[in-house]
Amino acid sequence: MRIFGASAIAALPASALPLRGGQKAASAEAGEPFPVGLIRCADYSRANLLEAIRAGWRLTRPPDVRGKRIVIKPNIADFSPERPIHTDARLVEALVAHLKEMGAGKITVGDGPPHNRDTELLFRQTGYEALAERQGLSLIDLNYDDLRPIRNPNPRAGLLKDLSLAEAVLAADVIISVPKLKTHRYAGVTLSLKNMFGILPGMVYGWPKNILHWNGIPLSICEINGAIKSHFSIVDGVVGMEGYGPLLGSAKKAGVLVMGDNALAVDATAARVMGVEPGLVEYMIMAQKLKLGSLRRQDIAVSGESIDQFRTDFALDPEFSFLRAPKGPLSGPK
Amino acid sequence: MWPADSLYETLDFIKTHPNPDGGWGYRPGGASYVEPTSFCVLALRSAGDTAAAANGLAFLKACQNVSGAVGASPKGSPESWMAYAGLLAYHAFGAAAEEKRLIPWILSVEDGSRRFRPNDVKAIRETYRFDASIPGWPWTAGTTAWVEPTALFIIALARAGVPLTNERILAGVRLILDRKVMSGGWNFGNPYSKSYELEAAPLSTSLALIALAAVGHSAADPAVASGIRFLQKSLAGDVSTVSLAWTLIALNAYGPHDELLPRVAKRLAGLRKTDGSFRGNLFESGLAYLALRDISPIIRPAGRIEK
Repeated sequence: MRIFGASAIAALPASALPLRGGQKAASAEAGEPFPVGLIRCADYSRANLLEAIRAGWRLTRPPDVRGKRIVIKPNIADFSPERPIHTDARLVEALVAHLKEMGAGKITVGDGPPHNRDTELLFRQTGYEALAERQGLSLIDLNYDDLRPIRNPNPRAGLLKDLSLAEAVLAADVIISVPKLKTHRYAGVTLSLKNMFGILPGMVYGWPKNILHWNGIPLSICEINGAIKSHFSIVDGVVGMEGYGPLLGSAKKAGVLVMGDNALAVDATAARVMGVEPGLVEYMIMAQKLKLGSLRRQDIAVSGESIDQFRTDFALDPEFSFLRAPKGPLSGPK
Repeated sequence: MWPADSLYETLDFIKTHPNPDGGWGYRPGGASYVEPTSFCVLALRSAGDTAAAANGLAFLKACQNVSGAVGASPKGSPESWMAYAGLLAYHAFGAAAEEKRLIPWILSVEDGSRRFRPNDVKAIRETYRFDASIPGWPWTAGTTAWVEPTALFIIALARAGVPLTNERILAGVRLILDRKVMSGGWNFGNPYSKSYELEAAPLSTSLALIALAAVGHSAADPAVASGIRFLQKSLAGDVSTVSLAWTLIALNAYGPHDELLPRVAKRLAGLRKTDGSFRGNLFESGLAYLALRDISPIIRPAGRIEK
């Protein structure tokens, strides 16, 4: 099956290349661990969120956002009044306030919801429409934004050698992935790396980006993140979802934000908070092999709180019970 | 039917925003794609302004490839689910040669049903409670068939006069009925996931209902009746522009004299912005215009269904 025409293949901006460009993350092999902030955040009050974001910003290696075009990519997979499926809009609003304080240029919030095409309603129900109006932001349905075909800059790419991306994403200087801390019925957990599924437009990949499922979720996660880099990640773990995620699980309070410039290190840390052994999560193993970062504890410098203190075992779907990390000291230095 | 003069600004919004390539984007100034272009030219044609639609039709023809497939745009993929909209437009404008090449391509699009082994089909039935062996239409060729693309292609094929006894259409109808949510209506995907009954959604439900109407199902059919009840119930809450437009078309397809219709039409018409657009979106503006004025380019009016 052909997905893309051969015409109009464009290059990605250097800033979008993984482990390249201005947002380059230090390599653990070079002796510099990936900094990850594990920040206490008890609730979604604006004061607590702002304080937590500022703390994480200080403790990690955030991107320079001054004058830059920013795209914030939350997880707006669906909406339920009973289940915390989506990244809480109050977190994104606090992040927007912080970015404005830091002198950011144009800020866009965008997502391409994976299976629900009714994005107008989703944006309204989840509070993002109101947020965009209050803050004067662009709120973009990435499923229907103008497209540009690109050649995957990752030479290891197999199934996604060519891909189509939204212009809003390609025009960004800085992409910030803001996922929800959740279990996932196919991937085990869904965090920063999996959140990037929503970058791909439904116009081309359909709903629920089904071609990525057929290609294999772990490989698709790695190939997307190998093509387009999120420069910073903030995992919404104030209240996450456990059990039969990412849509049908139950609320689970963890009371933390997990932040950093290397999505894999952030995801590995967030998984440990959930009581999940990242070394058993297939897409994380694959991402490490593909040099998208590291999940090893010795390569990650966790600051803020300790993982031991904040470990909150999330109930796992029985099919993923093997992911449960053994009890015991796990974290790096406090 | 909503008064034409009150929708003049909607047509004006459409006429003001074609691109130099003749097509329309989802938003003014955005790149042209087949879906918004099709609905804009259909709205213009319904208003009798075929001259304004001519360049749009030329754009749609340029999106057709040698295989007969229609891409989302002339530059991108040569094959797209947006072909459903292209077929509606080709048919309405009498572009017989393009229609004749597109229909076989649509009928040849395969989903993933053949790739499922018997054990896969069994496991899917146990977990999601649907029959994965029934072929329908996927969003992208070779992947799983879903209710919405299956419904969209059935709507377009039926409108283009493809015999309703065609095996792909019959199978697609079976798929739609198989995926019905037990309590009424349709979800984007499955009726169930493990022990959870998934919630129906107005967009999926209205598309499924229009497809069933297009092949001759009546409001008395139990699946249709429960779907309509779901739509009626969902109207009590927040409904998006696009869902409201498809809901209006669905209700109209089953009962042009339904007492609910004027209220739904009034609600949809009330979503117009001062520039006459619906959310500033050209696809939604074209769709809403048709829903309010003339559903005949999408589905034959009730009583004129051909078997």
